Amino acid sequence: MRKLFITSVLAGLTFSSIAQREIEYVEYELDNGIHVILHEEHATPIVAVSVLYHVGSKNEKPGRTGFAHFFEHLLFEGSTNIGRGEYSELVEKNGGTLNANTSHDRTFYYELLPSNQLELGIWLESERMLHAKVDNEGIETQRSVVKEEKRQRIDNQPYATFIGEMFKRMFNNHPYHWQPIGSMEHLDAAEESDYVNFYRTFYVPQNATLSIAGDINIAQTRSWIAKYFGSIPKGQAINMFRDYELMANIDFYNTYGVDKGAFIVNDFTHPKGKKANSVLKSLESKSIDIPRPEKAKMAELTGVTKDIIYDNIQLPGLFMAYRFPEQTNEDMYALEIMNDVLSGGTSSRINKSLVEKKQIAQFAFSFAYGLEDAGMGIFAAIAAKDESLDDIQTEFDAQIELIKKELISQEEFEKVQNQYENNFVSSTSTVAGIAENLANSHIYFGNASYANTELSKYMSVTREDIQRVAIKYLTQDARIILHYLPKEEEGK
Amino acid sequence: MKKYILSIALVLPAVLFGQLDRSVRPTAAKAPVINIKDSEVFELENGLTVILSENHKLPKVTFNLVMGAKPNLEGNQAGLSELAGSLIMSGTLKKSKDELDREVDYIGARLSADKNSIYLSCLTKHIDKGLTLMSDILINATFPQSEVDRIIKQNESSLLSLQSDADGMAKNSQSIANFPGHPFGEIMTDATLANINRESIVSYYQQTFVPEGAYLVVVGDITKEEVQSNALKHFSSWSGSKATQVDLAPISFTNGNRVLFVKKPGAVQSVIKITYPMDISPNNEDYLKLKVLNGVLGGGAFGNRLMQNLREDKAYTYGCRSGVRVSEDGSWFVAGGNFRNEVTDSAIYEILSELKKITTELVTDEEINLTKSSMAGSFARSLEQPSTVASFALSIIKNDLPTDYYQTYLQKLEAVSKEDLLEIAKKYFTTEKCNIIVVGNQEIADKLLVFDNDGKIEKLDAFGNEVKDILPADISKEELISGYINAISMTSSKKALDKKIKKIKSMQQEEELTMEQIPFPLKSTKVWVSPNIQGEKTEGQGMVFQRSFFDGETATGYSVSMQTGEKEMTEKEIKAKQLFCGLIPEINYATNGIKYELLGIEMKDGQSVYVLKIEDGTSETYDYFDKYTFYKTGSLSIITIEDETQETSSTYSDYEENDGFMFPMTFSLSAGGANFTGKVTSITLNAKVDLSLFK
Repeated sequence: MRKLFITSVLAGLTFSSIAQREIEYVEYELDNGIHVILHEEHATPIVAVSVLYHVGSKNEKPGRTGFAHFFEHLLFEGSTNIGRGEYSELVEKNGGTLNANTSHDRTFYYELLPSNQLELGIWLESERMLHAKVDNEGIETQRSVVKEEKRQRIDNQPYATFIGEMFKRMFNNHPYHWQPIGSMEHLDAAEESDYVNFYRTFYVPQNATLSIAGDINIAQTRSWIAKYFGSIPKGQAINMFRDYELMANIDFYNTYGVDKGAFIVNDFTHPKGKKANSVLKSLESKSIDIPRPEKAKMAELTGVTKDIIYDNIQLPGLFMAYRFPEQTNEDMYALEIMNDVLSGGTSSRINKSLVEKKQIAQFAFSFAYGLEDAGMGIFAAIAAKDESLDDIQTEFDAQIELIKKELISQEEFEKVQNQYENNFVSSTSTVAGIAENLANSHIYFGNASYANTELSKYMSVTREDIQRVAIKYLTQDARIILHYLPKEEEGK
Repeated sequence: MKKYILSIALVLPAVLFGQLDRSVRPTAAKAPVINIKDSEVFELENGLTVILSENHKLPKVTFNLVMGAKPNLEGNQAGLSELAGSLIMSGTLKKSKDELDREVDYIGARLSADKNSIYLSCLTKHIDKGLTLMSDILINATFPQSEVDRIIKQNESSLLSLQSDADGMAKNSQSIANFPGHPFGEIMTDATLANINRESIVSYYQQTFVPEGAYLVVVGDITKEEVQSNALKHFSSWSGSKATQVDLAPISFTNGNRVLFVKKPGAVQSVIKITYPMDISPNNEDYLKLKVLNGVLGGGAFGNRLMQNLREDKAYTYGCRSGVRVSEDGSWFVAGGNFRNEVTDSAIYEILSELKKITTELVTDEEINLTKSSMAGSFARSLEQPSTVASFALSIIKNDLPTDYYQTYLQKLEAVSKEDLLEIAKKYFTTEKCNIIVVGNQEIADKLLVFDNDGKIEKLDAFGNEVKDILPADISKEELISGYINAISMTSSKKALDKKIKKIKSMQQEEELTMEQIPFPLKSTKVWVSPNIQGEKTEGQGMVFQRSFFDGETATGYSVSMQTGEKEMTEKEIKAKQLFCGLIPEINYATNGIKYELLGIEMKDGQSVYVLKIEDGTSETYDYFDKYTFYKTGSLSIITIEDETQETSSTYSDYEENDGFMFPMTFSLSAGGANFTGKVTSITLNAKVDLSLFK
């Protein structure tokens, strides 16, 4: 058994003085394709159980946007063995808490439980994966809830539409064109077959990473995982099992050519009779084709797009975006460090110039938005009272020209390195954070050990790298500029 | 690597367990022991108390220096403490703001300050540098004028942008409604911001950031010896003593439910807060029970009643919650969330119904168990953060809790019963004294009327000040004044008026006043003698309550009252008196230089009235004139004397003719919480007046 344990030994080789704590973990794959990552630490008697499904809004069809996120809501509704509303109740009455979130690239579910409830957490997540159940009442309710979520988080918040407006203009020929919250009309138009297909395509073992961190015993955890997740049929067989539970016998027979009677629910993968066995085996060997958008088809950003958006605001805002590469691109490390020179901390260039010295902006910042298929560099400023967006534009451009023209100072360089070191130490402070970090590393960087080597990647960026990426990506002739103005000025 | 994993997977049997009945729910393993480590508490020579929670898991330390001062009233400088807090890091005797910022960022640390504390978080290896910076801003902050100016400008912008932030607006209204006359009820506005200056900021800092009563909470990768030597090095020169504390105002409940509406143009959701102050402090034994009760109603767990009813059942919202905020200085209850426009009234109804239900019926066993388990779990999870243990220690000291309060927290939680919750609900929850705050679209406002006890919605601006819907006037201010004069003098031309008014040399008016608190009626006499002598006297039961006299010729006057004795009129008051001379003072508005302005038309008690604003140098007065008859129907006068604002509001009705002039025969007067109603018993024109009665 010892050999099965794969622990990372890469971290800390290059930078022994760096104060990063190495995260130890065990990683393996179940026969059905579920990727498992386990991290054991006993400081607090709690455990984080998480499942990351590699499906986000970029896997949606153009006429069904918002589906990945909507599904996240639906998957709290229950399963064959868990009644409506019971899912959260089971967690909470056993002293736990739970939530989920959906991005462009993935959907992430988690429970935080007292460590003696680990088996419950594993069972709950396995139920969600195997046979989640949603009735019409649940669909209708969650549809309205999601609409309220959109109103609360986006429509009713000043400036909050800017991310969507940017993505819409930045990414053509790619599903990053829309946001995870999606279109409410699309949610209204969805039919039962849409839900069924979405679940059957994306909520399957081969698309899932199970990451558990906390006060656990590895051997015991593995045996529970084998029990609840290992028994989930692999390949297309999982959908056969779902049909077995939902279909009348006649329909099941017409679909698979075998009687439901050949199977038993508690041991589905061992049916009676050769025919049933061979049908099952054949489906098990067929993996599910998970549609992923083609990165290559994404159109480049050309030219300068300028638009005005009228919003319920008092102070005008300037938002500007450049195309950055995908988050796994080596240039992203330098771009993120460049961003910290511009906007990390009170002493950063943008804060000092726009907010403190020139006092033309109420807030001003930039950030590097890294996604699986592409990225975006955003500059944003809310004008100070009676100040103009033109002055803000001029100052942003001056700062951009400066970082392209001159190497950053040695002091600034050391400063951002120290900031990264501090941030990395803090990022390992909770078991929930560790579980998510390991799962993300596996999915995006192909290796959970990336969680331990990431810092050294940032530390190897040079000042010349920063200048190089600034020139390469902060392209003044290809960018998007949005002016947010008070609604009262519309039509003036 | 990948290949290796796959080969391992093949070795594992496909199903290890054979049959699995998935409907069998796993049972819990043996409950883990929850250990709460003790914090170390020790005092330094300068009076600073140190609380240390050692934890060496990560190479990191945080220092939180919390002052012992309680909130004080800021009056016309509301916002002063926040401003001072945000300026502490703006420069020291040794370093400019730029240098400070650069040095903090250079070590990757976080150093921040607010009105009552300074916080440092850094890697263990940077402790000395971090504390050097922290103690520098603590002891040597200089508050450069340029930074003060900058922060004031920044706050001006913030106040502007607040007007598009529904949550911020709701919070302002909540503070003002729940805590009148209390520091919690003070809100920064443009006017209070304009009164804040460097001197007041420095004085706040000097009186607040002092070692007496302060706590240094240290958490993380550091030993007691290291804390002691560092504290000695960095904080021993820190001195100063505590400012005097003013007792805070007691809480006051609203009289019946009030609806407070803040208009947010273009809103697609309403922010609802149903809220009221509570009389409870953190060391009250009821507090834990109150938290459990709130948990069932709308607290921590998703399974609470508000979330289940308003989200999972009705789908009105993304989230609906309630909270009990309990502190030494003031406590309150609040329930609400964000709801789409169409269901705003239904949401209020449902929240109130849930509040009512929980005060009348026992909660179920399932509910109380769910809440207690969820709270126990949350308590255990919170221990993952090393700062939790230190915050426990600080809370025990600051709130005067038993020393084993957190050690026995789980037992105390377990002991809370359904019956306890009903008792607590009856004691602390109400559906009859709520401030119902709604920030939203104008179109929903009318639907909120039913929730208000007196059927009147108070409309507030972003800062919780009352606003009136006012329409532009259809006439000029001169037309209004001549309309009024014509109406009460029963004339229709200037010439006729002059002729009529010239004949009137004096007037005496007798009134009878009643007031709820005084069991007998008061008699009031007012006289005027041409051109400008005025006298007034109020008496009852043989006592003179108040008397005043103004001699228009010598321009002197005084007032005598039972409370304050005799007072000479000030120069300003005399000037004001001179502006309002004659039988109908409005006749002179056009010529005597008084500042008056017609604001527009407003609805008042169901009538359309013109609103005229008059400034005479001592007060601001708003006179209301009926849009159709031009009679004066009311008046609101605001006098500000040294930061104190006194409001007097009056109404006039039942106009009757007396000797060719129309006079209001019924009136009311309210000022400083006292309400009078009055009847005019007689009016005599050109009577012989005995001025000696008023002198």
